[in-house]
Amino acid sequence: MAGSALRRLMAEYKQLTLNPPEGIIAGPVNEENFFEWEALITGPEGTCFEGGIFPAKLIFPPDYPLSPPKMQFICEMFHPNIYADGRVCISILHAPGDDPMGYESSAERWSPVQSVEKILLSVVSMLAEPNDESGANVDAAKMWREDREQFNKIAERLVRNTLGLPPP
Amino acid sequence: MKAILATVISLALTTVVIGNAYYQKKQFYPSIVYLTNSNPSMAVMYLQAFILVLLVGKLLRKIFFGQLRPAEFEHLIERSWYAITETCLAFTVFRDDFNPKFIALFTLLLFLKAFHWLAEDRVDYMERSPVIGWLFHVRILSLLMLLAYADSYFIFHAYQVTASKGPSVQLVFGFEYSILIIMIANILIKYALHAIDSRWETPWESKAAVLLYTELAINFLKVLLYIGFVAVMVRIYTLPLFAFRPMYETMRSFKKAYNDVVLSRRAIRNMNTLYPDATAAELAAADNECIICREEMHSGAKKLPCNHIFHAACLRLWFQRQQTCPTCRLNVLRAPAPSPDAGPAPAQRANPAPAPGPGAVPGQAPPQAGAVPPPFPNMPPPPMMSWGIPPPPPPRPASLATLTTAELQRMEGTERRNIEARLQLLREIQAMLDASVLLMQQYSAVVTNLPQNQSTVATQTDAVPIETVETPKVKVKVEPDVVPTTSSHQSLSAPSTSGVKLPPVDTPELSSRDKTDTDAEELRRRRLQKFTMDK
Repeated sequence: MAGSALRRLMAEYKQLTLNPPEGIIAGPVNEENFFEWEALITGPEGTCFEGGIFPAKLIFPPDYPLSPPKMQFICEMFHPNIYADGRVCISILHAPGDDPMGYESSAERWSPVQSVEKILLSVVSMLAEPNDESGANVDAAKMWREDREQFNKIAERLVRNTLGLPPP
Repeated sequence: MKAILATVISLALTTVVIGNAYYQKKQFYPSIVYLTNSNPSMAVMYLQAFILVLLVGKLLRKIFFGQLRPAEFEHLIERSWYAITETCLAFTVFRDDFNPKFIALFTLLLFLKAFHWLAEDRVDYMERSPVIGWLFHVRILSLLMLLAYADSYFIFHAYQVTASKGPSVQLVFGFEYSILIIMIANILIKYALHAIDSRWETPWESKAAVLLYTELAINFLKVLLYIGFVAVMVRIYTLPLFAFRPMYETMRSFKKAYNDVVLSRRAIRNMNTLYPDATAAELAAADNECIICREEMHSGAKKLPCNHIFHAACLRLWFQRQQTCPTCRLNVLRAPAPSPDAGPAPAQRANPAPAPGPGAVPGQAPPQAGAVPPPFPNMPPPPMMSWGIPPPPPPRPASLATLTTAELQRMEGTERRNIEARLQLLREIQAMLDASVLLMQQYSAVVTNLPQNQSTVATQTDAVPIETVETPKVKVKVEPDVVPTTSSHQSLSAPSTSGVKLPPVDTPELSSRDKTDTDAEELRRRRLQKFTMDK
């Protein structure tokens, strides 16, 4: 047997493979290292990200599940809660006590009860409903609030981008 | 591709330089002398040596590590930059000894250091990969043996040179290699722990604790070494600036290791005293799965006041970081009111009952504090209770018949503690009330005397602080409220005769001298009201 973090990650991987949630695929990039995962997230239906398949990587700390993993999109993203370099900023990924934006309540923070599946589902709902109060990408937040049409256009370009289609 | 190009260029340059020297001098020794005296030739030779070192490094890396992971490579580069900067700083201290041998020794040190770092990262990686082959073990073990041998050789060498020729730059090498050999010991211990852990079928619960204590001991040794080194260097040479960053980092990690050990011990103690073991029925009701590690719970599961059940080992690790229930985030340190569906007996036992007692009288350690230690330093104070409301009675189990004898006895113990706490509390309340009545009397005397005769007021207000000192000990708490009342009058008659900082006077009606008794009455009533409400 191996370390508890590794065993838990293996258990989660098995669970995700056996009962995959809709629109989400995730697993280790390389089965020799269970602490680096890749995930594919489909854009939620009925939103501007519909139809896109967004790849992201998850990096787990050695003391997982006591500390949260880090998640970063590897494709280009334009979203109020995603930094320009693709890092995702949602409260479930923040350990209590570390609050980059200074407004999250500890009730929605990371705890060992959370899992990869819950993180990815939260990210899907984040894609559907951006939180424009958190300023991971201020430009995107501003555009989301004030110029939704332009935002939708950019999102459509990103969606086509992930599918390998030329821009409209 | 670049590497090959650099190698070829440097080889060609070296050939040209040596060929040139030999062509000019025709003989072996004169050409060597020519080479060492010509700066451009020496630069080319240094470059060649550097490239050779890199090539050897690559070869050894291939032998002992195979392909480096990107994270390992990044880590290596980052640490190398720091090490190179510090080496340059060290050169400034020993500029008198500066010669090719000296540079070669420092390069060798850096070279060996890099392999220590890689070995450390590789052993950490053991925990992350499910597939560790025999090749991994052979590589790591042989590398560690080789490094340990090299370290001890250089320590011995440094010792000999220092003993025979007095202190020199060898002091630095001896110290650096000592640090490295401690690092090797640390890596070996970690390796052994991981290897043992991976052989066992069941998770090894005390591994985390062993790692914690190893970390503490290793860091302690390192801190000692650094302090000793800096002391020696300051005596013999000058302040060793180059050792400050690693020393600071070591001290920081020592502090962290120490904090971890303390937190872990606290968590274990609380685990043993505050939370009951979950029964088999409770385990079955909770699907037998520990939500932290997602594995089955057979024994050693603990139940929190909120009825959530976890492995004791998992819970302990979590409580080192945070003192909340992982599922519902109940702060387990605040005396929690058990939920209505709580099973009576465990809730009763788990409830750190005396907490409302000490919480209501902060600043005065109640006698029962020792019985249930205030578990964590960062514990937020329990909510203050207003004096009017008596502390709520502890929750009562639905029926005593459902309890076992042991549970009943334990409950009786806590009941007794609760009653004692309450009696103590009542006594303190009484003392405070007596004190406040006394103060009110003095206060009214002052107020009634105020309009008639100013000189008497001055003497009386002077007398008041002395009185406050004489009143019982509990009164210390009341003082913040008492002093402003008297001093607000002092500010009328004899401003700041006492050293007490005056709060803003909040009684505008007092500014006029000719006040009637009704004013004083009103003020007294308001003070009284404020007093009861504040406390």
